[in-house]
Amino acid sequence: MASLSWRQFRAMLKKDIVMELRTKEMLMSMGLYSLLTMVVYFVALSQAGSAFDPRDIAAGLLWLAFIFTSMLGLNRSLVHEKDQGCLEALLLSPVDRPVIFFGKVTGNLIFLLAVEALTIPVFAFLFLQGETVEVSSLAFVPLVLLAGSIGIAGVGTLLATMSVNTSGKDFILAVLFIPLAYPLLLGTVTATGAAIVGGPDAMHAFWAGMAWVLGYDVIMLLASYGLYEFIVGA
Amino acid sequence: MSDTERYAPALEVRDLTRAFGVRKALDGVTIDLPERAFLSIFGPNGAGKTTLVKVLTSLLNPTSGTAKVLGLDVVNDAVEMRQRIGLISHNPLLYPDLTAEENLLFFAEMYGIEKPHVRVAELLEAVELDHRKLDLARTFSRGMLQRLSIARALLHEPEVIFLDEPYSGLDPHAMDILDGLIAQIRARHTFVMISHDLDKGLELCTHALILAKGRVVLFEPREALDVARFRETYRATVGMGVA
Repeated sequence: MASLSWRQFRAMLKKDIVMELRTKEMLMSMGLYSLLTMVVYFVALSQAGSAFDPRDIAAGLLWLAFIFTSMLGLNRSLVHEKDQGCLEALLLSPVDRPVIFFGKVTGNLIFLLAVEALTIPVFAFLFLQGETVEVSSLAFVPLVLLAGSIGIAGVGTLLATMSVNTSGKDFILAVLFIPLAYPLLLGTVTATGAAIVGGPDAMHAFWAGMAWVLGYDVIMLLASYGLYEFIVGA
Repeated sequence: MSDTERYAPALEVRDLTRAFGVRKALDGVTIDLPERAFLSIFGPNGAGKTTLVKVLTSLLNPTSGTAKVLGLDVVNDAVEMRQRIGLISHNPLLYPDLTAEENLLFFAEMYGIEKPHVRVAELLEAVELDHRKLDLARTFSRGMLQRLSIARALLHEPEVIFLDEPYSGLDPHAMDILDGLIAQIRARHTFVMISHDLDKGLELCTHALILAKGRVVLFEPREALDVARFRETYRATVGMGVA
């Protein structure tokens, strides 16, 4: 059964990637939204002149953009299944519900990481040009991006599954997701900020933030894993 | 010897209730169906027909009561049971942005089918879509989608096949293909079909069930059925409204 679960997981992931590469619906909407957010940030903050150090708010700006961007993709990933009744066909197959959950989480994670990989160079170009950054601590940014995105994809996939059957799914997802993502946001912003700003205490702050993020990931993934069967059968 | 004595039960449903809030879509349904039988389910819109099929296919959990398909509990043995059932719905349940072949290969993987390419090729030929296997499902007509949906449902050679208004929206050619496929596998499988077409449903069935307001109004083997009385009962239920 373990090998069947692995086959099912790979098939789900492959299907989501093939469909996304064909339609580019999630990547286009998330990517464009994220880039536009960067432009809006730039225009809004350009009035501030040299009164503030962009490095101090860089982490907050980035994660705010990622949280809102992810909601676009999370909704789309489940709407695809629901609109055509495909979720029913998927649920009819002899697949353990957690396999569906982890398949969807992994797909959403990949698309979110792809959008983040596109957004960060743009952000650096707009806000961090000429700023002093420590390359050694900056190298830890991908770590927090990965850990933070796992949390977003995990909780977001669960909530998107819950909200996809409701009439105001976009609104419901936002109302549920943002409060639940708040603890994750605290950890990711702390860790990312430490990695960008650097300094003697940077690593201490970074790992404190990362501990928070990893703890959140473990708790939320386990809770989502436990709840998923109940939610899809309700 | 009756069917019930010859074969093990395909369906054992006991006092099954499914509520959505305070509304009972199914209310104390009890039925037994032997293996290799063909059950046609009739009833007005909102009678609970689709809810019954959803519970029996483990898409919905019952609120109370029990249901077994091939001796497997629909809640506790759901994963094992799903390996042995298939559903053909009026909704094709296919991914429009995958090709016909990709759709079937995906579901073949989900069912753990050995040599999926061989099985998929067989079925595409059976539903006469092998020449369109590389086309996206979104480019298919309603009839072609339904044929592909039939292939999807039969991929893993299920023992019990649920049909939720399978003839709805089909052109005559697609109807013939579905009739042909049912005839081919009729003797070895159990069928449970929801239908609004009394003639078609009665022509195919070995057992007939009328549901209204989530309750069983009539459940009889075909051989014991007085067709005139059955039609009268059905007409009376149509005016009964939803559960």
